[in-house]
Amino acid sequence: MHETVLFGPYDSDDVVAWGPEASRTAGRFLADARSLAESLPDRSTVLNLAASRYEFLVGFAAAILRGQVTLLPHSRAPHALRRIADDFPGSYALTDRDEQREEMLSIPIHIRPAPSSVPMPAVVPRIPLDQVVAVAFTSGTTGKPVPNRKTWGALTAVARATGSRLGIKERDRVTVVATVPHQHMFGLEASVMLPIMHGLAMHAGRPLFPADIQNVLTEAPGRWMLVTTPLHLRACIAENVLAPPGGLVLSATAPLTRDLARRVERQFQSAVHEIFGFAEAGSIAERRTIAGDRWKPLDGVRVVQEETSCTVRAPYLPDPVPVPDHLSVGSDGTFVVHGRKADHVNVAGHRVSIGDLNAKLLEIEGVHDGVFVLPDEETGLVTRLMAFVVAPGKSSEEILRRLRARVDPVFLPRPLVRVPRLPRNETGKLPRESVDEMIRRWKEQNGHDV
Amino acid sequence: MEHSGSSPIERDLAELIVRTLKLKIDPTSIQPEAPLFGEGLGLDSIDALELSLAISQTYGYQLKSSDPEIKAIFSSLRALAKAIEKNRTK
Repeated sequence: MHETVLFGPYDSDDVVAWGPEASRTAGRFLADARSLAESLPDRSTVLNLAASRYEFLVGFAAAILRGQVTLLPHSRAPHALRRIADDFPGSYALTDRDEQREEMLSIPIHIRPAPSSVPMPAVVPRIPLDQVVAVAFTSGTTGKPVPNRKTWGALTAVARATGSRLGIKERDRVTVVATVPHQHMFGLEASVMLPIMHGLAMHAGRPLFPADIQNVLTEAPGRWMLVTTPLHLRACIAENVLAPPGGLVLSATAPLTRDLARRVERQFQSAVHEIFGFAEAGSIAERRTIAGDRWKPLDGVRVVQEETSCTVRAPYLPDPVPVPDHLSVGSDGTFVVHGRKADHVNVAGHRVSIGDLNAKLLEIEGVHDGVFVLPDEETGLVTRLMAFVVAPGKSSEEILRRLRARVDPVFLPRPLVRVPRLPRNETGKLPRESVDEMIRRWKEQNGHDV
Repeated sequence: MEHSGSSPIERDLAELIVRTLKLKIDPTSIQPEAPLFGEGLGLDSIDALELSLAISQTYGYQLKSSDPEIKAIFSSLRALAKAIEKNRTK
């Protein structure tokens, strides 16, 4: 049959989610998901905004049971949510208990207190592999988010391939802890799908500060697996975070330097692996960072060098998917990543099209011209975007306020600089050298270390 | 605009915030009672992480999001300064 179980292998008293409130067993989880599924409105798409990983999982499973598609917004900005709601009319939102959204019908996820032991029904529901269960959005060059549809077959295949690459066995005593949001493709794959397909426990919360990460890793039952980003790892090293030895770190969203990987391995006494992926195809390859630069495609995945770019092929992808980075593929199928293609930048693990941001900036009334740039520097944990804007009669605060409603806060310019004009050439283009010169001049004038 | 009501630690902390997060604003323009995140200064969770490292290095105080008071602590410059004064080890 072309279908597979909603989750498993768990016994009814095995822990699916562990966290600050209480542990949720597999039997309990299925009861929670079924009960929520019955109360969902009769619509085809849902935005799952739950902050708790367990509540997200219950909402996700309930939607799947009802044949509804979960939309994964890459931003919570009201404008972004409204845009998605416009593109998927009739969408509603699943939210945390205390959250009400104005953009659309929102239903708080209520997990009813129930007896701790709930017997598992004899039959765990099975889901067709070709059922579209999620949509991840990427930023397009025109300012419109591009939907990427994910089938149950794709999500389960990636989860299994990742687990087998990392040596995870079914029903290992492992607790998956994640600092990344589950609404992010990597978060969904590594911190939700990976544990439920292998019968592992997940931590229901999302530690942010180094001291939180240390607490959670220390208390996590069994062996820990940390799904995270280079940003959080750098913070852990800066703060000398300790963790029980023998864990497993899985990092993605931005490249991890070998030096940082080595320090994390030493400090945590644990292996550090990285995942390479992007929203259009999901996770496609893995590497043990200290062992070398080359990425090994996950089982079943093939990366093919075409004339000008590379594509990914996998049994669960209906068509080859172009890779948004420059790669060189070796004869053994492994590859090296050389960097983002023009127009795309990565800020704190979020990929965005500069063209998209510029389009949103120019939509603001009173903005005559403007451009976002990512300066070449490495200070602090992240390098933020800057923007140069021509908007006589508008204050920076006013433009920022308007931008905040349209773009994810992570992409807000630091700083937004108002200029009389942009150094466009005669064809109207902005050569990178002129932009760099503009940045240099601005820094000089502002007493900034260049 | 100088806030006559700012304490020395609030002024130091305002400078630390502006310097750490490259805000390019006058530290004295941060209103002690105004929200730091979301609408106020518009800071996000990466700023919170970055700020937590700077606070730990400067004052020896490690922020925890498991602290039931964490939302209140991050609500304004004044609240954050108070928490630092109470918990600082250097």
